[in-house]
Amino acid sequence: MFKQRLLNLIAITICFVLVMGFLGLEQNNAAAAGKEIIINFPSIWVGKDSKAKVMDELIAKFNEDNKDNIKVVVEEIADYDAYEEKMRTSIAAGSVPDIFITKAGSKIEPFFKSGKLMDLTSYMNEGWKDRFVGNILNTATYNGKILAIPYEFAITPVLYNETLLKDAGYDTFPETYDEFFVMCEKLKANGVIPLSLMTSDNAWTAMLWYSQLLHAFGGPDIYEKGFDDPAYVKAAQAMKKMFEYTTSDAVGANAAVAAGHFLSGRTVMLMNGPWFIGRIKSEGSGEFYTHVAVANAPAYIGEKGEKGGEVGFVQALICAGNQKDMGKEEAVVKFLKYLTMPDNVKRLSIDSGALFVIKTEMGAGDEMERLQKQMVELSNNAPYVIPHFNMSVNQEVATEFPQALSSMILGETSPEQFIETLKAIDAR
Amino acid sequence: MKKVIGKDIMEKLSIKYKSNIGIILFLLPIIILFTAFFLYPIGFLLVTSFYKWDGLSAPTLVGIKNYISLFMDPVFRLSIRNNIGWLLAGGFIQVPLATLVAILLARKPKGWEFLRTVYYFPNVISIVAISIMWMAIYNSGYGALNGLLKLVGLANLQRNWLGDLHLTYPAVVLYGVFYIGYFMIIILAEISSIPKQYYEVASIDGATRFQQELYITLPLIKNSICTCMIIAMVYGLRQFEQTYIMTNGGPANKTMVMVLYLFKKMHSFRYGLASTSGIILLIMGVFVIVGVRKLFKVEKYEM
Repeated sequence: MFKQRLLNLIAITICFVLVMGFLGLEQNNAAAAGKEIIINFPSIWVGKDSKAKVMDELIAKFNEDNKDNIKVVVEEIADYDAYEEKMRTSIAAGSVPDIFITKAGSKIEPFFKSGKLMDLTSYMNEGWKDRFVGNILNTATYNGKILAIPYEFAITPVLYNETLLKDAGYDTFPETYDEFFVMCEKLKANGVIPLSLMTSDNAWTAMLWYSQLLHAFGGPDIYEKGFDDPAYVKAAQAMKKMFEYTTSDAVGANAAVAAGHFLSGRTVMLMNGPWFIGRIKSEGSGEFYTHVAVANAPAYIGEKGEKGGEVGFVQALICAGNQKDMGKEEAVVKFLKYLTMPDNVKRLSIDSGALFVIKTEMGAGDEMERLQKQMVELSNNAPYVIPHFNMSVNQEVATEFPQALSSMILGETSPEQFIETLKAIDAR
Repeated sequence: MKKVIGKDIMEKLSIKYKSNIGIILFLLPIIILFTAFFLYPIGFLLVTSFYKWDGLSAPTLVGIKNYISLFMDPVFRLSIRNNIGWLLAGGFIQVPLATLVAILLARKPKGWEFLRTVYYFPNVISIVAISIMWMAIYNSGYGALNGLLKLVGLANLQRNWLGDLHLTYPAVVLYGVFYIGYFMIIILAEISSIPKQYYEVASIDGATRFQQELYITLPLIKNSICTCMIIAMVYGLRQFEQTYIMTNGGPANKTMVMVLYLFKKMHSFRYGLASTSGIILLIMGVFVIVGVRKLFKVEKYEM
């Protein structure tokens, strides 16, 4: 009886294994037979992202044009930290998505080194590279190979509430930090909170201000000078002072809280990039959008930074994983070329307010968004553009920056100790 | 005679051999799954804890350097202390509170079913949602806690609860211990299995209600309390969600816990150090389980 049962069990197991095997074979055969190629694209440009709507339409159009041949399947991951984490762990586990988005600098470097990204050099040499501005492809080049597509560009000037500033007696934004702090004091005295700052997650808005302060004190080559340059401590002292003019929940607040204060008119200034314009339009209370203007961060008289120097960077690059199947590789490249077509990029830019590193020409009927236009002008007139702090230091310093910053703001450490902490982390 | 004995032994061995094959075959799927999803990851963790590895390129052997740098790191030491705080709060505040409520509800006072539902209800809500709600309650600008303090004339006690060097950690730990529903249900189920005659006999003998709970209920639910304590303390040890959502370890790493520390090391492409902290977490988990079982001298009761 037991023997019979055992034999039955073995027979069922063998059948199961065979069926699963044939199913696997069926799938492989489907790919080999040139049927529809599926491109897996985990995307951050979904949900509330200002590019989500047009990106969705573009992908739908691509799928329609390539019906039965190529299908791009978007995996929606709206939270950037979660997205970044998932990409990293997937790639570490050997499962590289067909296409994914990443940031430049220290974020993309490990991916370059991994050898798991598709080499796009030969495709680029077929004329594709002419679509990109200047020498921007350098940000995607590693050991002479182009391993990604630089896509979204950003500068991060000050977004400010013009009306609240006028109420305090200011028709223009201050040009020096001395004037800036006087203005902050005046606003505070009037019962208005000047700045939206935060220290949680990556301390984004505070980190951008710190980057502005760094080049204001140390000049455009500040990152090459290292943590021993006095500009780092001076910038930390100014950063600490800025926290005297922010909301009571700034220490511990995340980007949503900081943005929420600005969008609801509780604070006057927020430092952020062009992708935020869409949110100002859609989430700002009442006529909020009409009150917002863009300005350069101030400069320090007598220091090394120049007036109008900007913090700017390639905000997003698109990478593709290595493909064994040549057909699929070509399908991926076809989709990437489609995403970088000037007309498509123009649509994305006009609708979202985001800036791109793809050359586009504005036609007679193409009206660039007001704030976006101001940002482009600031960028064009900037004597120099430097990347932000997180992008210019190693990943561990970037990760520890928010904790070290909150420690300094709460008085646990001094600005000098703050820099010493970062320096020690950098030395590990 | 010898031949007969030998044959007998061979037959017995044969039966044993056959039945062992059956047992092995039936256990095989779970052994494979256990090896693939438990033993292999632990082995992998152990091996990579001796390497410097960014998760993408080839790892480099560094010996016990990762262990040394972990214990040299004040943030890691603080995260161990914080985890101990979490597990003590879970084991010695949350579970006793759940036991007390379960004992009270087991007597089925008026409205006990409603109260049981109310206490259990938060367990069906995601921790993320609850954490976000508490972030709003603790917010210094518009939070309910500061609002309440102002309302009762204690405005001088208003704080930025999630951005204070000394108050953030207790604020994050303390609210969690009041979510007792899960443990309360386990203990309540155990109490309901105690035969009523025990209480009737005790009552006839003149035992007060307090004495009945002390000398009948508590000893008979000891194993359940032990299980709850293990679950609560292990949860305290692997605490992540609340801390990650509410403070991300801040301010100034004051609420850092081991899993978040591990997560941040992964985020910084330091997978070797992340594995090392994973191993230390595992060892601490074993100590907690063994310690609690020894504390309760876990045994079986015949009822």
